[in-house]
Amino acid sequence: MIGLGILIFFVAVYGFAFFYPASATQLQTYQASNGLPPSSSSIFPEICTYTVGSPAPLPTGCYPTPPGFPSVIGPTPALSPLGLGPLPMGSLTISAGGIQFYDIFNGLIKGTDWSLTIAFGVVASGALIGVAVGMVSGYFGGVVDESIMRLTDIFLSIPGLLLVIIVLAVFAPEITSIDTRVALIIGAFVVIWWPTYARVVRGQVLVIREQRYVEAARAAGAHSGRIIRKHIMPNSIYPVFVQMSLDVGSVPLLIAAIVFIGFQIFPNQNFPEWGTIAAYSVSFNVVQSFITACQTASTCTIPWWQFFFPGLALFLFAISVNFFADGLRDALDPRLRR
Amino acid sequence: MRLWIYIVRRAALLIPVIVGVMTITFVLVSALPLQQRLVSYYGPNPKVPYNPEVSCQKLGIDKPGNCRNPFYYNGLHALGLDRPIFVQWGIYIFNSLTFNWGFVGNGTGAAGQIPLAAGHPVIQVLGWFLPYTLELAALSLIIILAVALPLGNLSAVNRNRPIDQAARVMSFSGYALPQFLLGTLLLMGVVLLIVGTLGHSIYCPGSPGNSPYFDFSGSWPPSNCFPSGQFPSWLQKGQISSPTGFPTIDAMIHGQWILAGDTLLRIIIPALVVAFGTIAVLLRFVRNSMLEVLNLDFVRTARAKGVAEATVVRKHAGRNSLNVTITILGLTFAAFIGGFPVIESVFNLNGVGRLLAYSVTLTPYDFGLIFGSTILFTFLVVAANIIVDVLYAYLDPRVRLG
Repeated sequence: MIGLGILIFFVAVYGFAFFYPASATQLQTYQASNGLPPSSSSIFPEICTYTVGSPAPLPTGCYPTPPGFPSVIGPTPALSPLGLGPLPMGSLTISAGGIQFYDIFNGLIKGTDWSLTIAFGVVASGALIGVAVGMVSGYFGGVVDESIMRLTDIFLSIPGLLLVIIVLAVFAPEITSIDTRVALIIGAFVVIWWPTYARVVRGQVLVIREQRYVEAARAAGAHSGRIIRKHIMPNSIYPVFVQMSLDVGSVPLLIAAIVFIGFQIFPNQNFPEWGTIAAYSVSFNVVQSFITACQTASTCTIPWWQFFFPGLALFLFAISVNFFADGLRDALDPRLRR
Repeated sequence: MRLWIYIVRRAALLIPVIVGVMTITFVLVSALPLQQRLVSYYGPNPKVPYNPEVSCQKLGIDKPGNCRNPFYYNGLHALGLDRPIFVQWGIYIFNSLTFNWGFVGNGTGAAGQIPLAAGHPVIQVLGWFLPYTLELAALSLIIILAVALPLGNLSAVNRNRPIDQAARVMSFSGYALPQFLLGTLLLMGVVLLIVGTLGHSIYCPGSPGNSPYFDFSGSWPPSNCFPSGQFPSWLQKGQISSPTGFPTIDAMIHGQWILAGDTLLRIIIPALVVAFGTIAVLLRFVRNSMLEVLNLDFVRTARAKGVAEATVVRKHAGRNSLNVTITILGLTFAAFIGGFPVIESVFNLNGVGRLLAYSVTLTPYDFGLIFGSTILFTFLVVAANIIVDVLYAYLDPRVRLG
């Protein structure tokens, strides 16, 4: 099961290189015939936004890469041997501010970096806080436990989507630097994510601390810190790993949902993040425009690739971490293996 | 312990939760600039903006130079913003608990897209939109219960058979498939199938003026049915009265059965999409608990004394999966509610989620609406938790007696 999960994950991350249908000459022909400026000399165009009729690529639309994060992708992937299909497979029409072309493939490749940075950042920091709080809550019990659990109740009663939106709406408008903004996004997600881990850990600790070996350690004179560190932590941590691997998949989904309802989570619309790309490509205006086109024209093409590939990336990533979590659960807890 | 004592006790436990949620929103509100807080609380005041100093002529005083703005200072004082932080907190909690959630602005934010809402109290505007959300929620809850329970039981009984595998695939997809994507795909499917074959959508039947609820132009997308960001036209036109505010119920009260069916058809696909994610979560729990129960002694006894297998599954073991369903529903209700902004945006339904989407789409954000709808959604979650607790106590006497 773990093997299947990892396999699907790599298919999700790397697979697009093999499905990219256009060649460089096709691209140049397409750009020339549509009045688009030619892209730079690399095989794939720069990840920039073009506006139809504008003389040069908009410099502001170029994508940044997250700092200090090793690129998952590495160098630009080689051209696919399957040079099938027309070029517009790679482009996305965004309705805001005129028709624009946007290279979905490159956006997805770059988006891997940002999506995974945010997802792992959220899950790691959330788990760190949640495990610490949950350990304290479960081990010491009593008033501490009761108050911490009421606190998690409070956080769990606010729909997570709304809390993230509020935190970002209040603090984000003044932030222009992308790095700071991403840090804020991670922080906003951590606010809604730590209670889950605290709950999970507390439930485990409540069981573990009644075990004989903990009692024996206490009888031998170990202090609380040592008991937590040496006896309780190693035995209660595995559900956290399972929960973490599940949550890595749902962070991009939640970002996509927030972007979809129109909240500008990133400074520009064409920010390379899976959820953002997927959400904009199915945003109401886009869908509306081609549905209207289909009603008026006798023949019409629904640009399914616009949302299919970003959606596929999200779906495969989420489902692969689900499989991974399932396998991890079986591997770490032999009792569940049936 | 009697059931009502149990209910009161559970409800009392939820008061700290509500106050805690409001404290979180208070912390976030406090981070806003003063003028924005005043606008979101007292509403837009186009004549005299909330500046500390305005020109005296604006205040109607024939004096050159600037004067202290009474709107600013009075508003500041009424919110306690010139007093210590815990007084501000107390005033905020009191205002929130008394549904005093401020006013909708009239800038380019939500009110720019919903002109009728501008300047109205937030609670009133939310009240206009809430029935749509509640109808959607009720329908999707019905779908969840109707699908997750039987399917979970079925996959436990037919463990590792094709139907179990199918349910597992469905469960995984429900986790992984983004709601907006599923919604858009279904929306387009509806367009292709129904618009393409019948020439009009089920969502917008008939010719213009056919329905008192919506301005129909007989075409897709729904923006033609719902003029984008506007209220259902009965509210604007006063064509029919709306005693309850719930479109389906109102239509039934007026005896317009076709219209009631139309409003139901309008929300049935969104309800399916919202239900899908929760069904995915529920299926696993129902299946696992059913598997456990099926191995218990009382089930073996029932089988041994010759009870039919269907009865064993339905009556003896199945009751347990109902308990599990209700528990998990209570736990996932916040996530369930969180799906509404998305799905109401996909299908352009006039619910609270859509209102929230409007209020965060354009800057300046309408903070009155954002915080108001958040508190409203939290109230819904808390209310659902109370209902779940009560149902649980009703179904399982051990909870209230032990």
